Amino acid sequence: MQHPHLSRRAFLKGSVAAGIGITIAPLGSRAFAALFESRVTATPEPWASPGGARFRIDAFSKVCGGKVFARDIRARDMPGWPRQQGHAMLLKANRADHAYQGFELSSLDESLHPDRIVTAADLERDGIAFPDSHGPDPLLPQGKTPLYIGHPVAILIWHDFARYRAAKNALKFRDDLIRYGAATGEVERPPYGSFRYVRVGGDTPFAPDEFSSLKDSDLFPAIKNRRPVWPDDPSLNGDVGERGLYHAQRMAEQLEQPPENWEVFQARYTTPYIEPGALEPDNGNGWFDADSGELHFVVATQCPQEAARETALMLEGSRFAVRHLNVHPGYTVGYGSKDHNIFVYYAALAAMYGDGHPIRLANDRFEQFQSGIKRHPFDMDYRLAVDRDSLKFQIFRAHLDVNGGGRANYSASVAAVGATAAQSVYYLPRSDLATTAYPSRAVEAGSMRGYGTLQTMAATEMMVDELAERLGVDPFALRRANLLEAGMKNTQGAIPGGAIRVGEILDKAERHPLWQERHERRDARQAEDPDHLYGTGFAISQKDFGTGAEAPMASVEIDAAGRIRLRQIAIDMGTGAATSQAMNVLEVLGRPADDIKTGETDWSELALETSGNPYTMSQDEQDRLSQTPRWTPRLASPSSASNSAYYASHATREAARLVFRHGLWPAALSIWRQGIYGGQANPYVIRLEDARWVEGHLTANGMTPLSLATLAAKAHELGLITGASVHAFNRWSWASAEFALGEERSRLPLDAVAVKYGDGADDDKRRLMSSHGYHLLDRQAMRYPDVQLNNAHVTYYSPVATLVDLRVSKGSGEVEILEHYSWVECGKPIVSELVMGQLEGGVAMGIGHALLEHMPLYEDGPGNGSWNFNRYQVPLARHCAVWKQGGEILPPLSETDPAKGMGEVVMIPVVGAIVNALAHATGQRFRDLPVTPERIQEALHG
Amino acid sequence: MAELPTRSLSLTINGEAIGPVDVPEDLMMIDFLHEYQGLTGSRLGCGQGICRACVVILDHDDGTSEEMRICITGAHFFNGKRIRTIEGHAERDAAGDIVALNPIQQKFIDHFAFQCSYCAPGFVNAATVLVERLQRDPLAAGELEGAIEQALGEHICRCTGYVRYYQATRAVIEELGLAKEG
Repeated sequence: MQHPHLSRRAFLKGSVAAGIGITIAPLGSRAFAALFESRVTATPEPWASPGGARFRIDAFSKVCGGKVFARDIRARDMPGWPRQQGHAMLLKANRADHAYQGFELSSLDESLHPDRIVTAADLERDGIAFPDSHGPDPLLPQGKTPLYIGHPVAILIWHDFARYRAAKNALKFRDDLIRYGAATGEVERPPYGSFRYVRVGGDTPFAPDEFSSLKDSDLFPAIKNRRPVWPDDPSLNGDVGERGLYHAQRMAEQLEQPPENWEVFQARYTTPYIEPGALEPDNGNGWFDADSGELHFVVATQCPQEAARETALMLEGSRFAVRHLNVHPGYTVGYGSKDHNIFVYYAALAAMYGDGHPIRLANDRFEQFQSGIKRHPFDMDYRLAVDRDSLKFQIFRAHLDVNGGGRANYSASVAAVGATAAQSVYYLPRSDLATTAYPSRAVEAGSMRGYGTLQTMAATEMMVDELAERLGVDPFALRRANLLEAGMKNTQGAIPGGAIRVGEILDKAERHPLWQERHERRDARQAEDPDHLYGTGFAISQKDFGTGAEAPMASVEIDAAGRIRLRQIAIDMGTGAATSQAMNVLEVLGRPADDIKTGETDWSELALETSGNPYTMSQDEQDRLSQTPRWTPRLASPSSASNSAYYASHATREAARLVFRHGLWPAALSIWRQGIYGGQANPYVIRLEDARWVEGHLTANGMTPLSLATLAAKAHELGLITGASVHAFNRWSWASAEFALGEERSRLPLDAVAVKYGDGADDDKRRLMSSHGYHLLDRQAMRYPDVQLNNAHVTYYSPVATLVDLRVSKGSGEVEILEHYSWVECGKPIVSELVMGQLEGGVAMGIGHALLEHMPLYEDGPGNGSWNFNRYQVPLARHCAVWKQGGEILPPLSETDPAKGMGEVVMIPVVGAIVNALAHATGQRFRDLPVTPERIQEALHG
Repeated sequence: MAELPTRSLSLTINGEAIGPVDVPEDLMMIDFLHEYQGLTGSRLGCGQGICRACVVILDHDDGTSEEMRICITGAHFFNGKRIRTIEGHAERDAAGDIVALNPIQQKFIDHFAFQCSYCAPGFVNAATVLVERLQRDPLAAGELEGAIEQALGEHICRCTGYVRYYQATRAVIEELGLAKEG
């Protein structure tokens, strides 16, 4: 995923935004639990052993119905809050083609009228500066046309539950609450974003490019009449944009008039409008204590840092005189939909207008369909030229139209990421990828698992499979002839990181009985069962992880008894991030973290500051800013983009390594060298690279194993480093700097480091720990990745492949998945069970995308407030071949492999595999998703 | 202000007698648990009885038990009845700390069955009802998968693909000897 959004404030420091102090204590963290009499997340037995995680760190709370979600919290659960819980709902316009002229609650019994109604006029009067990135018009002013169906016009607030419930029941499903004036038509606006990525490779995949985004530039159109316009007659002698377009035009001409030995495939693919369906609907619960100026806010979000910062900025100049913001993010779930979500700010506003009452704004499922973030529908025109003799792809041209709905969210970024992922696992010597995200009157689309790549890569696999059939070649042979291999360049001209093991996966899949026996199995079954058609399909994809501006933070501390405390900026959305981050410590410090706090944002010890936009700043700007010793291009990342396994782990492991290298290791040497002539260590040569943890004890080259408690006590006694807090920055490559640690000077893949010394530290060291209890190190020779690497758009990939076996009812067109099997390569998994869980869940979500899930976009769609799971079919167990599925994780190349993000890519190949299996079964190629029974019936009998 | 019509409600939740409490006549049971009892483990997913995240166990006097979808069942339906919610399964000590989980809960965590866990209470309760039924009336091993499908098949989980819920439930039933060979 890419999130190139602009910050509206140029300077932020630490945990203070706009002069409002921010404290974040996530639900489920010990810091938060300590506020309660009962510890809701206490785990009564060890959740991990030296062999690995026995269960999730949050398992007991979750399986016992503990209050782990923000949605579970009421005022009486919160220490210090008034006990009476108030409630709120959003009143929404369900037409977007007439001017809004106010609302009518007169049908409501007078006793049920809201205690407070908040409209656009209130926000204006009270100086509320709603986040620009979610504007305009969070509450629609009278006289304006709604931007989209479901545009909120007011927040209705009741101070008690009984009246709120009765009033809401009376108001829901009513079309007569909103008054409309003159017909205006839909609000017309320019695209959210439009980009083009052109690449002309050199003579070989390894030779320098003739033109590419990384070498030259992305391309940007002029916008006329709300459409992108590209120059008609670009010149090779023009500026970089013209040169790129010149190459694009030559490609277009060649696709129109190809050489005789080329096959040019052309097809249009469309994808549905999808409801993420996160079972915890959007919600927040806040109490503004006017006496103290504190807003206490429990909220469901994937990005607590952004939510806190933007809430503070929203209220900064308001009449409410907010002095402090206490944010409590819960464990949550969103599949992306709770990242950069406007709902947070509606909930915060409801709290501000609670007149002293805690106010809870919590969507029911109808409201969640009506206003929750959706997956973008894509309309894709693909052309692929292949040399019939060599089977080598020659030119790939993809033009994408993306429907972003009525409010700007990540649509531009989703369109860009979808385009730059379209190549999937293939090397494409020449490519022209153009993509535009358009606004519409549909409910807003934004981040959702796959982030545009699901749409484009599934289509690529459908295309390649069909092309193989057209060429009369084996689809594995066609894939193998065109694999992107290590050292080759992607469609932006960047070389992917590390080994590419797609070929290994292809080998395994091709040998699998599901594939080898597909024709015989199909024919035999169809002979036995004339009512069904049987088929087997395959697809493979590799997807990026990360955003191109990742900023992980972590701290690891060990006390004198050997207990390890980990603080992490990441938040757990059900993927198991809390568990895996705690496990990351195991390899370095011999056992998992005993205590983990996720969603941490108080990193005052690092004293970092930021300014500029990491995606758009010039090299000169970066060079100038990086002279400031505490500057970083980005303070914090949301939990998104499959970023915990690799990026968050990077920070955890680097912090743990510092504690090991400069704390536990010298402590061990000190113990082993006790005695005359250097003790037991003297007859041997002890090297750092010989250090090994064995059953929780450290040994090296035959030295006596030492327990963590022994080492920690010694490290503290000697005043060695016992804690480290780190920040890193990644723009498809890690920033690095030199840091002095004792007498050593090391270049580390970090841009900020602060350390703590043990209890026995001398006065000199203690004086150094002046940065919130840490010694903040001064970095030297800071190197940030060149800004041009933004144009790489991706360098980290994880591949997944899936085989699907299915059958189709000839009569009804119903599809039944009979069996599926997947392969995933994700480096060295941190917790294999969590990886397999992601795979299984991703495959299910992909099945929904391919076969089940869709909604109308506009008047009959979710914005009208009538949608729920009764008419939106998410996959049930019977859709997923729950007993007949399998999968495997490729063994890492070595134990030094990084853990790679894979939470999104797992759902992609199954989509292509299903559609390809349908072709095997029916002989028909389907290009519009989902492939519903109706579409199959039309294809078979229409 | 007009009074909202209420009625007295008494019931037993997780072995504890509750009430009488005056609650609105048309209140759904899920709202009673959430807003009047502070028991939020039974989760609101759809409000239509579709997703079954809200399922609790209704215990009958004859020793049988059944699932109830409390987002579509009025609170007063439960007057005088006994229910178990997700909060009531684990054994706890005097301090309220968990001492032991029920077999389904334990196997779910051993199998990493849930992810976000929003649906987990419904799955725990449905699987527990199944186990209790099979304890009264074991089935043939060949019928086990079908029985699990029938018990859990309408529950929605958006995270997991259901695999580990199903495998864990099967493991509990097999380990308890409730699926007979032959």
